[in-house]
Amino acid sequence: MKLELGYIQIKDIQFSKECKVENGTLYVDPDAVKAFMYEDDDVKAWVKDFSFDIAKPGESVRITPVKDVIEPRVKVEGPGGVFPGVINKVETVGSGKTHVLRGMAVVTAGKIVGFQEGIIDMSGPGADYTPFSKLNNLVVVAEPAEGYQDHKHEYEHAVRIAGLRAATYIGEIGRNVTPDETAEFETLGIKEGIEKYPNLPRVAYVHMLQSQGLLHDTYVYGVDAKRSLTTIINPTETMDGAIISGNCVSACDKNTTYHHQNNPVVANLFAAHGKTLNYVCNIITNENVYLADKQRSSDWTSKLCRLLDLDGALVSQEGFGNPDTDLIMNCKKIELQGVKTVIITDEYAGQDGKSQSLADADPLADAVVTGGNANEVIILPKMDKVIGTLDYVDVIAGGHAGSLRPDGTIEAELQVITGATNEMGFNRLSAR
Amino acid sequence: MATMGNPRDYLILTNNPLVHRCMEGQGLYTIRLEEDKSFREILVEARDMVYAGHTLYTHPLAGSVKPNETPYKSLIVSMVPHGFDAQYGELMANALAVFDKFKPIVRELPDRVLRDFQLIDYTLLAGAIGFDAEAGLRRVQEAEGR
Repeated sequence: MKLELGYIQIKDIQFSKECKVENGTLYVDPDAVKAFMYEDDDVKAWVKDFSFDIAKPGESVRITPVKDVIEPRVKVEGPGGVFPGVINKVETVGSGKTHVLRGMAVVTAGKIVGFQEGIIDMSGPGADYTPFSKLNNLVVVAEPAEGYQDHKHEYEHAVRIAGLRAATYIGEIGRNVTPDETAEFETLGIKEGIEKYPNLPRVAYVHMLQSQGLLHDTYVYGVDAKRSLTTIINPTETMDGAIISGNCVSACDKNTTYHHQNNPVVANLFAAHGKTLNYVCNIITNENVYLADKQRSSDWTSKLCRLLDLDGALVSQEGFGNPDTDLIMNCKKIELQGVKTVIITDEYAGQDGKSQSLADADPLADAVVTGGNANEVIILPKMDKVIGTLDYVDVIAGGHAGSLRPDGTIEAELQVITGATNEMGFNRLSAR
Repeated sequence: MATMGNPRDYLILTNNPLVHRCMEGQGLYTIRLEEDKSFREILVEARDMVYAGHTLYTHPLAGSVKPNETPYKSLIVSMVPHGFDAQYGELMANALAVFDKFKPIVRELPDRVLRDFQLIDYTLLAGAIGFDAEAGLRRVQEAEGR
């Protein structure tokens, strides 16, 4: 399967009555975006209003609580549309051509539950810890309809859909724009791959998806990942939004939809594909709470690795605690099939970094990449402007009573920062 | 995935009143609600039962909300012992070690936050055994006239 991505570099965003991309500036009409979001009945039912704001790199701006970050894309050639099974119909994506509005994102924010988290600082020390401080962000803040407290499932769904619809609308603006740069990505059929690269090691990416419950879910072609068996997906499908995030806790190590669209493991495997290795496919598996599900899913993962005759597998997880068990089960069982593994995770090693990092371990997990220690304490300065609300800072993950100090500074663990210790390695923290 | 063991064998250990309100009488399982127990005390109770041979059905560290943040914990062990399994014993011992490494947070949580922590704990448990969490909530809301 082959996909061409056409990158349209966005250097600035301006509100305008006209929607267009001109000389690297995205002009967008928030009323038009809002109207498109409200075409969905669930959005209509559960979101009272949306407000829009623009946050640019270097500004004294704090966005919180962040729900999702999404990159606008549009399919210009080939079957299907972005976010299949959710925004567009269920049809296999990942081939043809897709335009990407690079350098920007749609960020959804606003209250859902009372302990929400997720901070993106656009400047200062906090900005260094989140990749999203380097983007021009169109922030959509959702305000819930009356009575949402008793309908959080429906409201979370509505905000998730609203963000994807906003990104879809904006992606469409790039349909007829000539990309600044293009790149091609292709994986081959099994036999084809072996014939073309007979001497290269066969490597797959085992992509673990958060799948525990409300605010802890991931969807594949619209299907809740906890209800699926481990399966195979072409890496280019994920570039077209086949996997979306329904996860909005654990800001530092949640995989936003943007992470799924721009998965760095996929990018790096493609960069090495045909040179030092043969990138076979992605294997997607879940992180369920029921222990028999973990057993079944990790058995399945290792079976697929053997069936595909892999030499190596990279395994990334999402989240903390419960997924550590899936990570170790996957690693151990894949290794026992004779397939070498490298696992990618982050650490909860205590504020001093001296505690054991994961909730589970095994001697076969002897190749580990870390995304950093989420317990590390950071002090964030006051920002001139807050998009969203600071109401939750004292109760968010990694915050504590008094986190928000009277002078407006915040003392908290890295956990609070969106993407700080991402477990796909989509950031700069690590250890050697 | 909801391919389950025998629900008659499920003993739900919880300090979360929402689990009791939504799930009591809705299945073949048994709920042991102990509101006066802390998160850690629920873990200890489960660990001791697992050491005594009870099967562990759900992961003791479900959810990304950290154990020093939420006061609520629900998990499922078997009603009767089926024999000690070292894998379950290790999971429980590790869960307690994880709990103890987080710095305790002393704070008064407002009711709205407590309710949301209850909601998340409840949905994680419900999701684990294929219980329709939304239907459970609707039933309670109707019964309470909301």
